[in-house]
Amino acid sequence: MSQRRVAITGLGLVSPYGGDLADFFARLCAGESAVRYLLTDDQPRPLSIPFVSCPAFDADAALGKPLASMMDRFAQLGMAAAFAAWDDCGLPRQPAGESRDDWGVSWGTALGGTLAYEKGYRELWQKGRERLSPLSVLLGMNNAANAHVSIQLGLGGVSMSHTVACASSAIAIGEAFRRVRSGEATIMVTGGSDVPQAYGVARAWEALRVMAPGDAETSPAACRPFSADRRGLVLGEGGAALVLEDWEHAVARGARIHGEMLGYGTSCDHSHLVRPEAAGQIRALRLTLADAGLAADDIDYINAHGTATAEGDPVEVAALKAVFGERAAGLPVSATKSMHGHLLGAAGAIEAIATVLALREQAIPPTAHLARPDPACAGVDHVTAGRRQPLRAALSNSFAFGGSNAVLAFAAAR
Amino acid sequence: MDSIGLIREFLNDRLGVEPEKVTPQASLADLGVDSLMMLELMFEFEDRFAIKLASDLKTPQTVGEMVSLMDGLIADQKS
Repeated sequence: MSQRRVAITGLGLVSPYGGDLADFFARLCAGESAVRYLLTDDQPRPLSIPFVSCPAFDADAALGKPLASMMDRFAQLGMAAAFAAWDDCGLPRQPAGESRDDWGVSWGTALGGTLAYEKGYRELWQKGRERLSPLSVLLGMNNAANAHVSIQLGLGGVSMSHTVACASSAIAIGEAFRRVRSGEATIMVTGGSDVPQAYGVARAWEALRVMAPGDAETSPAACRPFSADRRGLVLGEGGAALVLEDWEHAVARGARIHGEMLGYGTSCDHSHLVRPEAAGQIRALRLTLADAGLAADDIDYINAHGTATAEGDPVEVAALKAVFGERAAGLPVSATKSMHGHLLGAAGAIEAIATVLALREQAIPPTAHLARPDPACAGVDHVTAGRRQPLRAALSNSFAFGGSNAVLAFAAAR
Repeated sequence: MDSIGLIREFLNDRLGVEPEKVTPQASLADLGVDSLMMLELMFEFEDRFAIKLASDLKTPQTVGEMVSLMDGLIADQKS
């Protein structure tokens, strides 16, 4: 079967800024942080961390009460993002005429329904109840988001979720891309959603000593990738979705094409659970370029994994320098996690959207709060303020705990 | 609260059903109660009235059937 071109025809997200897609990208380009101080009322000790929430998200309004009540928040955020991407692609939510039997969903989530189970434990252990609601299983299952998306949009093909820590949705998008490119699926809805504010999860991340500290005043600038004074990552909740479509199908129905997906590569460091290794990242970058049929010279922007941990950022820059050689010094790189935070299983998806919009708008969002780059992260063109310039193709990096690396390649529509 | 009051509150809270639509003649399925929502509704009754529903309970079809079923179980529990 001949390979299909893969068009991106739908983009959607639940924005931490509360606005639409255009608003989200405008704020990123302006360097505006969505990070805020989060103080919970949890027992025995409240969470007191910089965090990215979606406070304007009203699940009942976005999904309708009956549907929202059947979902945990990770699935609500995912479904809302998928609806937004679907509406953006211009197809009706209910199938009309054309069969959707080979259309599918490939979702990413690191934590799945953890919040639902945590609620169950609270009921049992804190409130002394002996039983849980029969819906708990369906709220908590990790494939809840993709299952709801398939049901709501009448998609009869594959419906699956990928759990690969911080690379979950990058791998989900990559696997979706392969299915459209091979002709197996005409359309794939892909993306990810996560809710890391689960008490046990956030406490566990704190214990790893990789979370940036912050209070009400300092939280917005708490996440400073590549900066000499970086203190770690900032977790965030969210959902982000893309519609990948057979190019000819998209053209035939007159769809708006935001950009093209060209390639995907994935590898494993196979060395350490948390310490990243340049060699594994280099292999993923090279696999992606080869898969996309691109040379290093064709890449005009890198949306970095850039979590702002002490160990991670220099390794990523080292990998980029190894792959891009002399060109690296002039290669624009930015880490948008400085503004939208680290969405774990949704990180790859929200960054894929940022990358596609950068190509569409020919504008690079910056790494915020990067006044003093760490010399250990030198050697690439750190974008520290929004910049307009011609962009042909770009890569989005996602590197996960466990050593899994995933890189996605996109190009401006042409 | 009585049985129909609980059903009204539950359906309004979960499905956004207006309380005046919850009449004894109304079909539960028509009000949006599918098999999962029925399990939740039964769970709510067990919880609120401290009753235990048999696992082979015949599923009520209308609001009225549900009310008489629950009223019977609540009366048994009190006696």
